[in-house]
Amino acid sequence: MAGFRFIDLAKPFLPLIPEVEIPYEKIGFDEKVVYTIISALIYLFTQFPLAGVAKDVGAGSVQDPIYFLRSVFASEPRTLLEFGIFPIVSSALLLQLLAGLKIVKVNFKLRQDRELFQTLTKMIAILQYFLLANVFIFSGFYGENLSVVAIVLLNVQLVAAGIFATLLVEVVDKGYGFGSGAMAVSVVATATSFVADVFGVTQFPVDGDGHREAQGAFINLTQSLRSSHKTYTSAILGAFNRDYLPNLTTAFLVVGLAAVSGWLQNFRIELSIRSTRARGINNVYPIRLLYTGGLPLLFSYVLLFYIHIGAFILIQIVAKNDPSSLIYKLLGGYSSVNNLLYVPQFPLSLLTPSKSLIENLTRQPLTAFTFTAFLVVSSVWFAVVWQGISGSSARDISVQFKEQGITLTGRREQSVAKELEKVIPVASGAGAGVLAVIVATGELLGLKGKGASIVIGITSAFALLELITVDYQQSGGQSALAQVLGAPGGGF
Amino acid sequence: MAKGNTQIERITEAPVEFVKEGAAFVQKCKKPNTKEFSKIVRAVGIGFLAVGIIGYAIKLVHIPIRYLIV
Repeated sequence: MAGFRFIDLAKPFLPLIPEVEIPYEKIGFDEKVVYTIISALIYLFTQFPLAGVAKDVGAGSVQDPIYFLRSVFASEPRTLLEFGIFPIVSSALLLQLLAGLKIVKVNFKLRQDRELFQTLTKMIAILQYFLLANVFIFSGFYGENLSVVAIVLLNVQLVAAGIFATLLVEVVDKGYGFGSGAMAVSVVATATSFVADVFGVTQFPVDGDGHREAQGAFINLTQSLRSSHKTYTSAILGAFNRDYLPNLTTAFLVVGLAAVSGWLQNFRIELSIRSTRARGINNVYPIRLLYTGGLPLLFSYVLLFYIHIGAFILIQIVAKNDPSSLIYKLLGGYSSVNNLLYVPQFPLSLLTPSKSLIENLTRQPLTAFTFTAFLVVSSVWFAVVWQGISGSSARDISVQFKEQGITLTGRREQSVAKELEKVIPVASGAGAGVLAVIVATGELLGLKGKGASIVIGITSAFALLELITVDYQQSGGQSALAQVLGAPGGGF
Repeated sequence: MAKGNTQIERITEAPVEFVKEGAAFVQKCKKPNTKEFSKIVRAVGIGFLAVGIIGYAIKLVHIPIRYLIV
């Protein structure tokens, strides 16, 4: 008896938790593309409004406390996807981190252990959906004094949607699609919300006179320029400044952030390598600055989510957001803004970027330092740890080199690992740090989570694109999709 | 006492060292040139917008459904 292990907890549930079968035969390139995109689109399609929410949710009641974290996890308030992919991402990241640090003991060489680990990850994801659902229900987010039926109904909806999302992500993860499902979902959700924010045509009532404005910032500009109740200057100013719906300033900032992260994505150090088997074959092996991609940021946002949910539980459920209570005084409370958002007060506000730059400078100047520091420290820590445990550490790569019969030019085979050890941890740490600073800047300019989500979206898009390109080249360009779209072989 | 000092030094040195190494790394990095970059931006941009438009179309389908069920 080797003693009790954490993953054994999953054993009794192994037959209970639904699972996606690993594909029997090799999935072709076209099918993979279709599976990846369609799974993500089905995810978007499940954003149905929740049934059983009290009608009078609005003025004076509990508002959205995590509005600035939502777009990172593709979640929409008061829909089935209230928590988005947060439980899936967080349980996968944290468990893999714990397993990598040997806190949770898993032998990934054993099939049995791998299965248990997978089931445990899923179980914790579903458990989190359940817990978060009840936190939100009992905080009064769906209305005060809900009936028992409504509570059960909300639970069923949120948890069932959670299980569904878990399986949807698993379909892509298990080899039907490219990369990880969470990545695909985050790319598609980010892209969709970007298009909706810029070109969205949905009209929303904005004032008492029955005027309506489009959701999309660009559509709004053209509409306001043509409308009769606005002058040209006020139309243009409004398009750049409105804070109730997406404005052009945020749109430009988001495009800027996307461009910067795309640019950084291509920062690399090229180590020259040569074959040990044949003479005169030289090549380069690129080590990226963003060695771990957007994952470190995602990890920071998972931490932020936990901190804010923890605070929400204490402040809203325990202390009822009452200014005279001790918890309120220690942690800060929430003030309701526009009857839509719950904005945390000092000191919780230290980890909450404000809604606009001016507010950030005047009302919470400390946030700029604390928030940036939090993002940078947690991202860098994660990146440095992750590169060592994720199967692409210096040691793993030197093993790969040996198998493929290549070595760094001018090095003996034995010292390859040492040489890589000098480069890879620095690259991943520095990359994560730079990315964190960029996101923090964007967020402090008032992007309400859009900054982080576009950076994570773009880095995931690059990762996906790379997987797709490699697969396309390996399949020899045999793709009906590519022919239909008229894409040339090396178009990417 | 001396031991404590070195420990504090190590704690304060680590971030400085990290920033130095990181900055040196970023400087050594090969940056994409304009041509390469514009190619990448075009590929990713078009893909991103295309996916976004499909996604938004799906969201538009949601509006009548919401009317029906709420």
